[in-house]
Formats: sequence, C-alpha cells, structure tokens
Amino acid sequence: MRENNHDHKKCISIFKRLSEYLDGELDAKAYEEMRVHIKECVKCEVCLETLRRTVALCRNIKMQRVPDRLKERLKSMVHGSPNP
Amino acid sequence: MMKKPPERKKVSDEDAGLINAINSGRKSLFHDLVIKYEQKLYNFGLKMCGETRDAEDMVQETFLNVYRYLSDFRYEASFKNWLYRIASSACIKKRRKSKFAPQKDISLEDFIPDDKNNIPDSLPSWASEPLEKILNDELSDNMSEAILSLPEKYRVVLVLRDIEGFSTEETARILNIKPASVKVRLHRARLFLKDKLKGYFSE
Repeated sequence: MRENNHDHKKCISIFKRLSEYLDGELDAKAYEEMRVHIKECVKCEVCLETLRRTVALCRNIKMQRVPDRLKERLKSMVHGSPNP
Repeated sequence: MMKKPPERKKVSDEDAGLINAINSGRKSLFHDLVIKYEQKLYNFGLKMCGETRDAEDMVQETFLNVYRYLSDFRYEASFKNWLYRIASSACIKKRRKSKFAPQKDISLEDFIPDDKNNIPDSLPSWASEPLEKILNDELSDNMSEAILSLPEKYRVVLVLRDIEGFSTEETARILNIKPASVKVRLHRARLFLKDKLKGYFSE
C-alpha cells in the first residue's frame, strides 16, 4: 500500500466488485469511488490488472477448426441423407 | 372480458432474412446458417464438454433442434441467443452424464487474500507483457483445461460472457437466470482462472 493507514476492508469490498468495475456495470458514484481507491492502492491495482489480463486471455483464446467429419455430418443432415 | 397477455417485443435480427427464406420453403439455405455458426458452436462445445466427440454431437443435436423448431421462431430473442440457449441446454444435459467436473460452489472467500502481503507490489510479467507475446498454444490449452475444471454453472457463464461475448443481460436470458447471478458467477469464475494462471506462470 502507498499509505500506512490503508483500510484493508476497503480493499476487500473493492475486490468483490472488480468484475463489475471492468465490465462498466457500476453506477457512476460507485465507479468513481473505486477508481480513486485503485489509483492510490498498488495491491488493488495489481488485482484489477491481473483480472483484466485473465479476461483478455479468455477473449483471445485460440479457436479450433471444425473437423471435416463434423462438416460432413452437418451437410448430410441438411440434405436429408443418413449420417455417415 | 379477459385481457390479452402483452405481446413480447420482437428484436431486430441480422439473420432474419435468411430465416424467413428458409421458413418460406428454401430449406437448402439452412446450410448457410450452419456454415455461419458451426465453428463458434463447435468451440463453445469444446469449452463446455471437453471431448471432441461430445462437442460434435452437441453441435449436430443443436442444429437438428434448430431445424425442427425454426418455423416457430418468433424473434423474441435474437436467433444467435436462441441458438446458444439450445446449445447450452444440450451441453448441460451431456455434462450431467459425465463425472468430469464436480458440481460444487466456488466461494468468493477462497480468493480474498487473508494477508495483504500475499499480493505483489508490482504487476507480474504475465499481466504486463503484450498479449501476443504470452498467448501461445500451450497457454491456450492450459486455459481450456482450467475452464473445464470450473464447475458447470460457473463455466457456462464464463464461456458465454468472456469467450462468446454475450452481455450480462443476454447471458441471463440464455440461461434463464437473473442478471445478478450471472455477475456473481462470472466474478468467481474469473478469480478461479486468475488463480490458475498465476500457478501456470510461476511453475
């Protein structure tokens, strides 16, 4: 923490709402309160940024190619042929 | 006289033209819908079921149900939301038959650092380096495995929100749960993954 008299309870209440903060789902007052705290608290900032990175990694996870046998099954299904 | 129930608002839909054409008799156009969504659905199935065979069966079952009920589709949700609703049900049904992930609750308390000294004073390298530098096949596989180890009710929310990109409201409608439940489950699922990633990078 940057301050010696830092309120750890505040950090915990912030920790519980980090996803809503990241997703822009807080009202303006709650958002501003959290923003001000996080700016001053390195540990909360680390929690926020590692969570932000976790979400970014999920959003960029590699997609797998559809197997040819599934493509064939779907094609047969649409055209009314029995499944291979 | 009894009042008529209010009609549900219809949503505009990017697939409406295609769906109307299929429903007016051009059945072969259904293949265009399949091609549009097969890769997304297959990857959704992989994240939810883990096994390629299960994911393939889920995709086929989903499209079969869509084909069967498309003429009843009334645009009360977007087609994509409706599709994922059917797919989510198929995945959940399939997973209930397997023993892969235990259906336990994730407690928020498990992730709250009991000692603030446990939290570093600077960002770890995995969270500060450019995304493209760290996101490789090994990490993707590792994340997929971590997602599969999430209990189902958290996993489906995380996949819909953070991989498929649905909003909180849309996810709530797809799963027929409250938006507040989506938020709670999503936060716990993300914290669970964050923890797994921390372990992966420190190994």
